[in-house]
Amino acid sequence: MSTIGFETAVEEGRCGERLWLYATYHCNLACVYCLTESQPGIRYRRHLGSETMIELASDARDLGFGSLGVTGGELFMLPDAAEMLVELGSILPTVALTNGTLFTDRVLQRIEPLADLDVALQVSLDSPDPLRNDTMRGPENFAKVQEAIPKLVERGIKVRIATTVDDQGEDELTRLCELHRTWGITDDDHIVRRIVRRGRAELVEMGVEPGPTDILPELTITADGAFLHAFAPTVRNGVTDLDLLVSRQVAPLSVAVRRFLGVVADQPVGTDAAATFT
Amino acid sequence: MARVRLLERDEAPLTARRLFREDGSASPLTRSLVNAPDVLETFMPFLAQIYAPGPVDLATKELVIVRVSQLNACRYCLAAHRPAALDAGVSQHELAAVCGEVPVATLSERERTLVEWVDCYVLDPGGMDDELVARVLDHFRDDQLIELALVAGVTQLLNHYCTAFAIPPPS
Repeated sequence: MSTIGFETAVEEGRCGERLWLYATYHCNLACVYCLTESQPGIRYRRHLGSETMIELASDARDLGFGSLGVTGGELFMLPDAAEMLVELGSILPTVALTNGTLFTDRVLQRIEPLADLDVALQVSLDSPDPLRNDTMRGPENFAKVQEAIPKLVERGIKVRIATTVDDQGEDELTRLCELHRTWGITDDDHIVRRIVRRGRAELVEMGVEPGPTDILPELTITADGAFLHAFAPTVRNGVTDLDLLVSRQVAPLSVAVRRFLGVVADQPVGTDAAATFT
Repeated sequence: MARVRLLERDEAPLTARRLFREDGSASPLTRSLVNAPDVLETFMPFLAQIYAPGPVDLATKELVIVRVSQLNACRYCLAAHRPAALDAGVSQHELAAVCGEVPVATLSERERTLVEWVDCYVLDPGGMDDELVARVLDHFRDDQLIELALVAGVTQLLNHYCTAFAIPPPS
């Protein structure tokens, strides 16, 4: 039960009910528009750690949060990602963002319990054309995703597709929709989002700069602290942007929530730009 | 070059932007501290109260701040507080004395005793004796001396911070 006004802020539309967790900044891909400069071999991987994430999730449930989002970096770079996700999904409904390239048979077996939980894996795919997709997301990305998704669906695991839009045409997106429908993924589970001009995307002048109320605040926890929303903890030239930091302290979560609520209380009620940016 | 990031207002955490002036500027010290906004919630009001005129007048506090900064050879704090001391009413002669440019012996007994006490407090607190405390209490009440001890302590903290992180002195 929340005692610090979080649920009221959600009811007033000042913030979302989801807690985002940046599991790690490490990734096996190096997408051109990555917000966090995640890529193989980065020096500061900034893992949150499964114990911390589970503790934060429990605190979130107690404080009135309605769901979790897990992102990075690539969650499945962490050796205990599967078990952690099962644990998180048993605490709150969870969506986990993944590039879908690390689902070996062993990993698939370990995540089978997700089929019985309110957990969705949101797999990134930007184009139905392998070459186009892989130019943005890395070599063989399309092939690996194409191989993984039917295996996930087959196991009863809920899968969503996330497409980050740069210059894809309408025809290209239409063909992408046709593709995901063949996997049994409905249009409702296909999220199309714009590139946010922050992090690496800003350095290469890609994407759209969000206005101050374009992105609904959703408390986002990383190893660097708590941020205003999931697009806030960006990295440029190896350094984390602090402009949207709301608290360095993240545990207990109530401390970060109090500071987060202090910030959102001072801001105009924003537009939920989920369709645009999330 | 500073060893921590000096953030501009637009780069600073939302919770710390109120520490910048209306024109968006802030001292290099503030621009470094905003990297750690959580602790500033209590540290900045604490600092403001310790350094503000109260039971001890501002000129006396500035005299202590400059003396402690001189003892610690803090370029930043000396650059920031020498002009502040003059603004607070410290004379050029007093300032020169606490900066070691003229003999401390040329100060009035009150200031001379205060400097002696500050030197002992900063350099050799274990060597503080009853006689020196009694002499300084001839000029200050006990609560005022406590306040001056806090002024000296906070200044010491900032001296170490600015020197260790190589915060560039304000222009």
